Amino acid sequence: MDRRQFIKVTAATGATATLAGCGNPELQLARFIPEEELTPGLAVWKPSICPVCPAGCGIQVRVMEGEAEVVRNGQPGLLKMGLARKLEGNPVHPVSQGKLCVRGQAAIQITYHPDRITQPLKRSGERGFGQYKPVTWEAAMGELKSQLDRIAALGDQKSLAFLTRPLAGQRQTLVSQFLSGFGAPVPVEFEFFGEDVLRQANARSFGYRRLPTIDLARSRYVIAFGADFLGTWNSPVSQSAGYGEMRQGHPGQRAKFVQVEPRMSQTGANADEWVPVKPGTEGVLALGIAHVIVKSGLKPASAAGRAGALIEGWSSGLAAYEPAAVEKLTGVKPERLERLAREFASNGPAVALIGGAPLAVSNGMFHALAVNALNALVGSVGQPGGVNFTPRSALSADVPASSRIDKFAADILGGAIAPKVLLLNDANPVFGTPAVWRVKEALAKIPYVVSFGHFLDETSMLADLILPDHSFLESWVDHNPESGTTIAVASVAPPVMRPLHSTRAMPDVLLELGRTLTIPIAALKAQTYEDMLKAGFSALPAPKPKSADEPAVDVWTVAQQQGGWWGEGMAKAAPAAASNAKTVTFVEPQFDGDANTYPYHFLPYASQTMLDGSIAHLPWLQEMPDALSTAMWSSWIDINPKTAAMLGIAQGDMVEVLSAHGKLRSPAVISPGIAPDVIGMPVGQGHISFTRFASGRGANPIGILGPVTETETGTLAWAATRVRISKVDGAGGLILFSKLAEGSFEHEHDHHR
Amino acid sequence: MTHRWGMAADLDKCTGCGACVTACHAENNIPIAGPVEAERGRAMHWMRIERYWEGEFPEVKLTFRPVLCQQCDDAPCEPVCPTYASHHTDEGLNAQVYNRCFGTRYCANACFYNVRFFNWFNPVWDKPLNLQLNPDVSVREAGVMEKCTFCVQKIKAAEIEENAGKPIRDGDIKPACVQTCTANALVFGDLNDPESAVSILSESPRGTKLLEDMGARPKITYLLRETWNESNRKG
Amino acid sequence: MKKDQIGNRSLRWTIVFGAIIALAGAAWGIFGQATPATPPAVGTSGIFTPGHASLSDAARHFFDIRSVPVQPIAYTHKVHVIDNKIECSFCHVGADKGPVAGIPGVKKCMECHEFVAVEKPEIQKVADYSKKGLDIPWQRVYGWPEESHVRFNHAPHIRQKVDCATCHGDVPNMTVATRVMNHTMGFCVACHEQRKVSNDCMTCHY
Repeated sequence: MDRRQFIKVTAATGATATLAGCGNPELQLARFIPEEELTPGLAVWKPSICPVCPAGCGIQVRVMEGEAEVVRNGQPGLLKMGLARKLEGNPVHPVSQGKLCVRGQAAIQITYHPDRITQPLKRSGERGFGQYKPVTWEAAMGELKSQLDRIAALGDQKSLAFLTRPLAGQRQTLVSQFLSGFGAPVPVEFEFFGEDVLRQANARSFGYRRLPTIDLARSRYVIAFGADFLGTWNSPVSQSAGYGEMRQGHPGQRAKFVQVEPRMSQTGANADEWVPVKPGTEGVLALGIAHVIVKSGLKPASAAGRAGALIEGWSSGLAAYEPAAVEKLTGVKPERLERLAREFASNGPAVALIGGAPLAVSNGMFHALAVNALNALVGSVGQPGGVNFTPRSALSADVPASSRIDKFAADILGGAIAPKVLLLNDANPVFGTPAVWRVKEALAKIPYVVSFGHFLDETSMLADLILPDHSFLESWVDHNPESGTTIAVASVAPPVMRPLHSTRAMPDVLLELGRTLTIPIAALKAQTYEDMLKAGFSALPAPKPKSADEPAVDVWTVAQQQGGWWGEGMAKAAPAAASNAKTVTFVEPQFDGDANTYPYHFLPYASQTMLDGSIAHLPWLQEMPDALSTAMWSSWIDINPKTAAMLGIAQGDMVEVLSAHGKLRSPAVISPGIAPDVIGMPVGQGHISFTRFASGRGANPIGILGPVTETETGTLAWAATRVRISKVDGAGGLILFSKLAEGSFEHEHDHHR
Repeated sequence: MTHRWGMAADLDKCTGCGACVTACHAENNIPIAGPVEAERGRAMHWMRIERYWEGEFPEVKLTFRPVLCQQCDDAPCEPVCPTYASHHTDEGLNAQVYNRCFGTRYCANACFYNVRFFNWFNPVWDKPLNLQLNPDVSVREAGVMEKCTFCVQKIKAAEIEENAGKPIRDGDIKPACVQTCTANALVFGDLNDPESAVSILSESPRGTKLLEDMGARPKITYLLRETWNESNRKG
Repeated sequence: MKKDQIGNRSLRWTIVFGAIIALAGAAWGIFGQATPATPPAVGTSGIFTPGHASLSDAARHFFDIRSVPVQPIAYTHKVHVIDNKIECSFCHVGADKGPVAGIPGVKKCMECHEFVAVEKPEIQKVADYSKKGLDIPWQRVYGWPEESHVRFNHAPHIRQKVDCATCHGDVPNMTVATRVMNHTMGFCVACHEQRKVSNDCMTCHY
């Protein structure tokens, strides 16, 4: 029985007497139709976007009716509402293709986290001690407004700063419009595992300033330099799907996969051939391969075109990278190099990719340009099975300018700038930058800090006012995937559930501020973020109807239903002209710390479960065993068995790691998959303040890094610090799922004894 | 025709990414044990990624293998259960009936795959984490053994529809691990249907069973990794 | 020596059993009369666990002493179903579609009670909840405790033309719904046997 029938029933039973008095009963009832129709016990699937990493996988959320304990107008009570129960990949989304990674699956715990900030907070104690008192949204907005009005009245609009993790989609546009409309500088962006070196290298080699989309599915030979592309790098879900195809999707055509890295990553573990090289020499190997290919006449040097011309000595056959020279630098034997080169050139389509640690050294640009040239040499750029670039939609045509946290901090400390108000959005540089950059000290100099965060992390602890954002499941979300697909994608999705707490979406807060400031920001025309998204998406080209009599499709409606718009990108623009034709050559990488005092390379890496630490607060991920070490709830350092034996370190022993800039303690994992002169350590643990699940757990490798930067881009060279290590007393606190260093089936864990 | 549910795991595709593990937690209301209990070996993972190191640096190899209940036809866990909590269904599932279980843990001792997990304590969800719980799956309590069910709630839901006239097609039922497997390494289906993808894969020359000589007749087929050989390469 | 040990052991067991019986007696004394439960307290505990909240809870569960639900609002089925001819499925929308019949939210109540019987005190309570933006904390009348691990699904039963009254009694003629049927496993199994449908444990328990 639906409502219409119900009206008939009530009409028949005389209840209409009351209804009739209020005019047309149908119209009256229409006002009360709930915004969502859920049948108790039945699931509906709603599209959304995974917020965890920049890949921007489209997801679908299983929503079922449930009862949430909520506080409404100060009163606790029950609310029946649609509740998200599980996240899965959105099967029609071009990037995720229905799949979701280990971290994305756990993202639901962001929404339901017990330590989420549930209402606006105002600092009540000394700064940095985490004492806050609740305030109303009206009071909080009023306070922020008066702060902004104050600096505007002084004509000091430049003293507003906005610090954020790199944003995508209309959010990025909105923040930039807000800041430029107000008169403030461009936003300061921070992401530890940023890949700016690769973006800039791709711009120089190919004219596309973005991360590559690797067509693994059709590749027959893959060499990856340091890129953990099946775990944490770039667009791991789409890359894993392609990898499965590459392995067994073409009967009799199984591709070969070679991984080049000094520490075996989860990705490297899947390689047919694993090639450890000395840190900071990856590009030398790539050019060694190119040298052999050219010299043996497999491909002409000219085939590499513009990408080749960027390498010094390319046209003359790369004499500096002949096998013996390469062996000296990388440690790879000439026979092996020659074999790899021959295989790579004769088993096309072949592709080389680079990412992560090789780009986070002082000569990172060289390595990236070398690998780009190698791809160009074998003709894999823009080809099936090769390197492609995701076309852009009209919504991502222009990437707004931004600045970097290291410069921002240095400018404050040096007195070049003196921001008075800082807006902080979803970035935790106090945790994620080397102590030597003194970011915390710099931020503490800013008199008024406002955070949109929904957790009290190390950076939010500095906030004077917290205006908690909705979680991604409670917000309008949008994203422009930079890579992972060969068609243009603009993802969008409405909220999948009502907010659990008294939170507000950051974009709507900015829009409201823009309207209510004494000098309103005229550039912000939308009333709500939804309006802004609608305006943007409605302007995208509609898909062509399949037949003449099919009605035209409304882009906005379809995009909301399927989780985005995808199709032909902007005009297939020719690659941008070379902006920087300066050639590069191999220069010995610079490492922080003298090799005699600090004999080991320190290699932090993105944790399979916690990435850069921004999701360390999710309990499922804390208890998820790492693929290689099987460690849970802890941090650890990877040591080669020979190194460990030499230093008297056994599995689980507490080890002190000392750099020229600090020290940390972490238990040892003896790992056969790491070079004897390299110490590996996952990033992610070592939070001082980040909810009950992550606070005070393990150590943070970022803190002890030296201030080395990649020479050409100025980005942090996070893999360029040297350390020394020693065994220290005390329990290591290592928690392993598998108790033995080497997996052995019969005696794995003994959980039930 | 009765169904006989089975799985195939292609180790040549499996990347060890672990997506299946969290998916399993989300689908099946598996609690966290916390650091203290995890250290005692009491973390519950119905599904885990085993990894095997071979060789020494630099000639080192690593192999991943997703391990879950093998749903054996001659399951060692079943005859040892004094209460028939661990029993075999008509469809070949190794069912664990929580109501019957009173925690002798004989089954876990008998299982040489180590895929049974005992609830040493009542699981706890800090509110509002409990709102993510899947209402289609029981929340187990202290003293009860639990294990992979092949996502029996999804099987049951499909079979209820089947009884109402909607046939189950191959691939309709995807346990959480299979659904999310990023490299499509896991395939689930009906072994009684010779046309099903899982039946075809189970006949693969690369197919093996885990600890096959123990004689438990597991229903999961592992397709071994291949090695690259340039001279054998076709086309 | 060995005999002594056995003696000790049996003595220990006697004590244990004695204690259990004594506790049971005490429990019966305390809870022997089905005690009315107060409406569920909201937000009182920071955790969710399938375990019993207290020893007495566990004892009551063991002896199958179930509390009589006290509803926050004296909802009467009779007025709605008999007097006003509203079908069960108008409010219990999930019954023929899936596992859960469902109890409607306050919005559903207000669809009619924005206009109907607004002057009645019980209806004003409904309106109060609605104004606060909260739902009514109805207490469940049927249903199993977590430990029963029952995954009951309404839809296939409705499809097989099992009448609502078979399991829920004559609810239409009740004022506030009360528990008149005892949903024991025997109750379920008997019907399954009679209708020759599966009685495998996995049919309901997973």
